[in-house]
Amino acid sequence: MRHITTIASRELRSLFVSPVAYVVLTIWSVIAGTFFLASLIGFQEEMIQYQQYQMLQRIEEMNLNDHLIEPFIGSMWVILLFLLPAITMGLISTEKANGTDELLLTSPISIWEIVLGKFFAGVGFVTVMTAIVGFFLGILFVYGEPELGKTLTGLACLLLVSVTYVAVGVFASSVTRNQLIAFILTFVLLLLLGMMLPFMVQITMSGSGMGQDSGLASAVTWMSTGSHVDHMLQGLVDTSDLAYFAIASAVFLLLSKTVIESARWR
Amino acid sequence: MTQNSQQGAEAADTSAPIAIEVEGLAKRYGDFEAVRGISFQVRAGEVVGFLGPNGAGKTTTMRMLTGFIPPSDGVARIAGHDTFSDSIAARRAIGYLPETPPLYPEMTPRSYVDFVAKLKDVPRGRRSAAVDRALELCGLTDVRHREIRQLSKGYRQRVGLAQAIVHEPAVLVLDEPTVGLDPIQIREIRALIRDLAATGGQTVILSTHILAEVDAICQRVVLIDRGRKVLDQSLAELKAGGASLEEVFARAIAVDEAAVSFQAAGADGTTGTAGAPGADTAPGAGNGAAE
Repeated sequence: MRHITTIASRELRSLFVSPVAYVVLTIWSVIAGTFFLASLIGFQEEMIQYQQYQMLQRIEEMNLNDHLIEPFIGSMWVILLFLLPAITMGLISTEKANGTDELLLTSPISIWEIVLGKFFAGVGFVTVMTAIVGFFLGILFVYGEPELGKTLTGLACLLLVSVTYVAVGVFASSVTRNQLIAFILTFVLLLLLGMMLPFMVQITMSGSGMGQDSGLASAVTWMSTGSHVDHMLQGLVDTSDLAYFAIASAVFLLLSKTVIESARWR
Repeated sequence: MTQNSQQGAEAADTSAPIAIEVEGLAKRYGDFEAVRGISFQVRAGEVVGFLGPNGAGKTTTMRMLTGFIPPSDGVARIAGHDTFSDSIAARRAIGYLPETPPLYPEMTPRSYVDFVAKLKDVPRGRRSAAVDRALELCGLTDVRHREIRQLSKGYRQRVGLAQAIVHEPAVLVLDEPTVGLDPIQIREIRALIRDLAATGGQTVILSTHILAEVDAICQRVVLIDRGRKVLDQSLAELKAGGASLEEVFARAIAVDEAAVSFQAAGADGTTGTAGAPGADTAPGAGNGAAE
């Protein structure tokens, strides 16, 4: 199992000597900064408006967690859909393109160790991305008093989503030797998983005249990350959400392992 | 020195344990049979040349030996471990230089060989020394902190070789180890391979289509053509016949081709195999299209 660390740390080092990692982190930081500022200004303006109209009850309801942190993390999650594929696209596909898969697969290590090594390298990277978002949220603690527990839940939610998406990226990267194809496949899968699934079900359901609260509809809604993100961002964590992220990651990692294994037979 | 070590290995030949054992190894890709039932044995400390024209199935056979691809049929054992059912143990005993050296261009030779040493379970206490030793044996000490992408083809080939020997494997599988090197580098690499076998007792199987290479480092030759073994003899025996290696190999391949066309003509293929030792009896349909 220590091979997992060997593979993950080599991958991370290679990621950080490539420009891709820095481009992604720069874009991520700039967007996070912009969104953070925009949310902050929006929050301020809302407060001023309520004060002007003497809507005291509204002012009372306003708080940093629900009106700033939640939408901020929510929008960063959308940005993740676009940026993460750039990080995960090369995880396994470049091994094939370089011919280094021949080294890995003839070394005394298991395919699980390869897959998990790649996965944890991606997890390491998204931890840095989450930490950047955490840095901006930290500023709020200097000047205001957001609820710590709820804020941490939001960050944990972002990290869990990212980790799940890394597993999707590992899978997409394992099916091809072409990074561009891996990028597009990851992006499409993330869009489907993240937001498209519930829409598609709603459209087909309303077309066929079936009730929207049928078993299938709720099952598909459960399968999309969006519903779990919304739920967790409200500060509510239940085992169904946690189970979702664990199961989704496990499924895609298992698929990656199967793909690598079966490729040898062709 | 070459002559002496050859003689020594010749004498020890029959008593040494079998390091590589291949029985009826075959690989099919759909209708195309890349390798059709090859069998041979290599004893510990032997240096065997794996020869054949392009497309004969050399790389496919080596990939099956190293466990990179599973065989369609037959077994390969490395130091007694089946490369398929006991693959981790078999892989631990192998150092493998694939056709294209498996390099990460953004790493330095030092960090790359260190990475491979970790993959191959070189104990932590000995790892640093083992890495430096492999780099030194392959003449990479001076460039060990340069990025691999900046190195010339010859140096990259040597990094590939350093990677293969870092864990001092019992068996070395080298797929065209001297391709792309200049004459001086070729001489150095050949000397290194000879030394590894003579002093380190390592078993080497290397593929090549350069006959001079076989003459320079190998004690025995396994010649394959169209996925079948057509010749398996010690170099000393081959030379004793008086003919040059080129003539011997050209003749063996010609005999094989005649047998194949005879088989194809005779449809049932009951008689055609006499001229080709170890030949498969299946008269495979895709013969003509194979090369």
